[in-house]
Amino acid sequence: MRSVSRLNKFVGSGLLAAMVFAFFGCGNFNAPMQTFASGSDLAKWITSLYIQITIWDSIVLAIVLIVLALAIFVFSTREGDPTEPHEHESDLMLELAWTIAPALILMFITIPTVRTIMRTQPSKWPANAITVQVHAHQWWWEFDYPGLHIATGDEVHIPINRVIHFELYSDDIIHSFWIPALGGKRDVIPGQVNQITLIPSVTGEFYGQCAEFCGLSHANMRFRMVVDTADGFKQWVAAQQAPPVEPQEAAAKNGEKIFKNAPCAICHTVRGISGFSKQYDYGFRGPDLTHFGSRGTLAGSIFDNNPKNLAMWIQDPEKVKPGARMPTLGLRGTDLHDLVAYLESLK
Amino acid sequence: MAAQPKPLAFEHPSYLHDPGGIWSWITTVDHKRVAVLYGITALFMMAVGGMEAMLIRAQLMVPGNHLLSAAAYNEMFTMHGTTMIFLVLMPLELGFFANFFIPLQIGARDVAFPRLNALSYWVFLGGTIFLHLGLLRSIYGLPDAGWFGYANLTERMYTPGINVDCWDIGLLILGVSTLLSGLNFFVTIVNLRAPGMTFMRMPMFIWAMLVTTILILLAFPALTVGLIFLFADRFLDTHFYRVSAGATPILWQHLFWIFGHPEVYIMALPAFGMISEVIPPFSRKPLFGYPMMAYSLVLIAFLSYGVWGHHMFATGMGPIADATFSITSMLIAIPTGVKIFSWLATVWGGRLRFTTSMLFAVGFLVEFTIGGLSGIMHASPPVDLQQTDSYIIVAHFHYVLFGGVLMGILAAFYYWWPKITGRFLSEKLGKAQFWITAWAFNATFFPMHFVGVLGMPRRIYTYAPHMGWDFWNYFESVNAFILGFAFLLFFINIIWSAMDGEIASSDPWDARTLEWSIPSPPPAFNFAAVPMVTSRDAFWVRKYGTVGTHGVAPAIAGGAAAAPIGAHAEVEEHIHMPAPSLYPLIFALGVFLMGVGCLVWTRLIIMGGAVTVMSVIGMVFEYPSFGKFDPAMIAESTLGLDHRKVGMWAFLGSECVFFASLISTYMVYKDRNLGGFDAMILNIPLTSVSTFVLLTSSLTMVLALAAVQRDDRKWSVFWLASTVLFGCIFLGGQAFEFTDFVMQGLKIQTNLFGQTFYTLVGFHGIHVLIGVCWLIVLTIAVARGKIGKDRSLAVEIGGLYWHFVDIVWVIIFTLIYLMRTVKHA
Repeated sequence: MRSVSRLNKFVGSGLLAAMVFAFFGCGNFNAPMQTFASGSDLAKWITSLYIQITIWDSIVLAIVLIVLALAIFVFSTREGDPTEPHEHESDLMLELAWTIAPALILMFITIPTVRTIMRTQPSKWPANAITVQVHAHQWWWEFDYPGLHIATGDEVHIPINRVIHFELYSDDIIHSFWIPALGGKRDVIPGQVNQITLIPSVTGEFYGQCAEFCGLSHANMRFRMVVDTADGFKQWVAAQQAPPVEPQEAAAKNGEKIFKNAPCAICHTVRGISGFSKQYDYGFRGPDLTHFGSRGTLAGSIFDNNPKNLAMWIQDPEKVKPGARMPTLGLRGTDLHDLVAYLESLK
Repeated sequence: MAAQPKPLAFEHPSYLHDPGGIWSWITTVDHKRVAVLYGITALFMMAVGGMEAMLIRAQLMVPGNHLLSAAAYNEMFTMHGTTMIFLVLMPLELGFFANFFIPLQIGARDVAFPRLNALSYWVFLGGTIFLHLGLLRSIYGLPDAGWFGYANLTERMYTPGINVDCWDIGLLILGVSTLLSGLNFFVTIVNLRAPGMTFMRMPMFIWAMLVTTILILLAFPALTVGLIFLFADRFLDTHFYRVSAGATPILWQHLFWIFGHPEVYIMALPAFGMISEVIPPFSRKPLFGYPMMAYSLVLIAFLSYGVWGHHMFATGMGPIADATFSITSMLIAIPTGVKIFSWLATVWGGRLRFTTSMLFAVGFLVEFTIGGLSGIMHASPPVDLQQTDSYIIVAHFHYVLFGGVLMGILAAFYYWWPKITGRFLSEKLGKAQFWITAWAFNATFFPMHFVGVLGMPRRIYTYAPHMGWDFWNYFESVNAFILGFAFLLFFINIIWSAMDGEIASSDPWDARTLEWSIPSPPPAFNFAAVPMVTSRDAFWVRKYGTVGTHGVAPAIAGGAAAAPIGAHAEVEEHIHMPAPSLYPLIFALGVFLMGVGCLVWTRLIIMGGAVTVMSVIGMVFEYPSFGKFDPAMIAESTLGLDHRKVGMWAFLGSECVFFASLISTYMVYKDRNLGGFDAMILNIPLTSVSTFVLLTSSLTMVLALAAVQRDDRKWSVFWLASTVLFGCIFLGGQAFEFTDFVMQGLKIQTNLFGQTFYTLVGFHGIHVLIGVCWLIVLTIAVARGKIGKDRSLAVEIGGLYWHFVDIVWVIIFTLIYLMRTVKHA
């Protein structure tokens, strides 16, 4: 039965190697949602704690595996040996040791844990913090900037090195707001306003996704977060605050008419053209499209925003996103083409 | 394997032998046969749940897969979780192994309430079928809201179909079954141990089951209350989880996880017990640190009630609650560590025999340690915020429930199968199964840690490519199919063994506990003569003379002294085995009909209810021992108390949690009420009078029992009738109160006050109503001379229940009526 011990050692060292790989290997290939993240102060605190606990865990696991492998290696040879094993039923010192040692290790985990909890859940934030109201819907994300009078969907921009204060609202059921690169998730709960406060420290484009099962298209409830430089953010805000672009081409002009006359305008806001009343109704609110053409993705961030994907989406939303609330309007041919042209022109 | 002693010939046929055919299985109340029924059902469901897992993995094999639709995938992961937890792991541990081996290990002839045991099985079967009932309507009829079915997704507004209805009612039915099993096993362990088997001499498996049954009794009522609220929301249009009325869906999470975390230990502790049974014989050493092993079980169970919040770190409970739940959760690591190290110390220095069972036990040690350690990460709230609802959680609980619990169950299968069937499972196939499982399990679930670290959320039916998840998902899926193949070997092994397995002797492993002292498979009455226990590892001591083997002349392997206890002794003459009964099946049928009635036709609820009530009445009067003091039974019982009394106490303990959940909900929602009716509507003078009346009825109940005990029929009837009368006056007062409120416009749907008030006071009222009916039956029986001094137990137990209901009312009256402060949200 020696093979047992060998295999156990093999498995043991394999597991450790794999953990090391998981640790350091992540940066080397494309894993935009990995959770050992450092995109904000929040993410850095969490990652530091994460690594500390992983190290303690690995040490304990290694001890257990080594003792077990040794026990198997040494004592499996006794099979057929007529001597009886010792009657060894208890050992006070040993038992005290393996009660106290884990308790000590736990102290090394608990103390930084409690400190990090207190740090990451501030009850106050500076007055100049940028507040972003996050509204979760089945199954897309809406972002409102109450101080800046901007509303977007699927895509949220924030500036680097500023305190960002997210307020999380849900109008239907429980979702969970998560951008791994910038820190941990927070549930979005109807009837309760949760918050996340963080200071992004890296510019770039990050992926987020709903993390609490929220029904049929839970998997299709994604979003992107763009961390801009201070100037870049200022430009973006100015562009978003501007009224919608007047359509220039004939197709886009015709598209605007279709948009106004088709049911689109009931649910979707294009400032100055159509507006959904601020009174939220279940299931009847669609993303603000005033600057739709400037966004990188559409439909809960599951497709890149290009005319082909947009046409596919408008043609049969249910087909590409199960349970999607947007109805199939039966638009075809030039109508569809013109509507797409109009929407894409809304830069 | 040790050389085997020659099988001993027995005059008494095994429990499996019965000329009665299939009917004898339907009406059986023998704990061993009920266990086999559980085992077959659970193994079948294991195959079903395994197929669901295969479909899940097939869907996730590549990004953007279209094998399953989103709806089908959501059903698959919901049913995979629900099936594996409620229909596979729990029934295998409780229904199959505990049912079979609790009586055998404590030297009893059966469980405390054999008919109740059969009843648990049939109700369980009904619940199992009910969960899948939606399939009759459509292939998209299975539950689809996740195994913890978070409100308010489960509201009819968001999940309109039959899916969640079947889930809600199915779990309620299964809860009844589990609660009754827990009650039954609790009384069995507490009160039916063989003479001399003190708590500190019980096998560790019995310790684990004792603690598990206590967890069941005190945890399941919270789930029941949560499910009742959900039922009311879906069928009666109340607002327990609806934000529009001021309620919060978080209430469900609290109720669910107050049940849900103990539930983890309801699954894990029996596996701990099984491992503690398997390792010593194959190490040829006694279990190391027995007292600490027992205390750590108790400590784990105790702590498990204070940690439910660690499932809710992401809900924003605030830093103080986060820190508290974090610390209590981490504390659990200490007793768990004690267990792991004690098992290691048991192996250390032993003479190890690597049978398949031992291999799975070693597998358990490795995998459970990994699962436990990743649990420490999730117990740290900041880290948990990056981990919860991602694949690292999926990895964690599969390491705990598959690598831990299921490996423990498999170890138990290979260890105990010879006792159950009298035949071995094939060691060759078993070892093949173990090595394939060991590889494929780790290869399937360890990479889930990686995809979790790489940010893949759980419960998504599709994912984008180029997230770094593709390779590992493909790898996991391939290995999951290999894992499925390992289980195919297991099923082949079972079928092969049942048909043509090697015959096993009564003590094939040279084991230590009492079940090995009787033939394999055991006779219907288990022990020909009730064993006397003088120490831990009772059978080992009988064979070799001491607890350990140190200092004893080497015994022949297998032990010549290993003659089964009682084999040569005369079978006791007065072995009285309970007669078979059909009522358990009828009861389950009634419960099932009530459930179906909720879905399709309201009148069916009444019909099902009638069937249920009639089966209960039938069961009560089926045996002539009804309400009788059995001096022999009391003398044999460990506590010197009647089982029925112990059972009633245990039941009332469970009821405490039920009412505590209802009262807490009332208190929490009192301040969230959005206006309209509130506690000021309560008529305090009227209720004070009816409270006084109800309290008086407790006094008359005491007098009634005293009269019955001194065989004074006239006064017995008088006091019992007075109790009934007072109970009726109370109910009348409540009926008046409710009617008055409804006339004023307060309905159960009106607001948070209405729904919490009506459910709390209403459920208390139902308890009083049951008590009144019970007392009426007793009064009639006493009046007709059926109950005298010798059957005063029936009155005593009824009285216990009645006093409990009165005490609950005192609490309700104080908290709801007298301390009514009204604050509007």
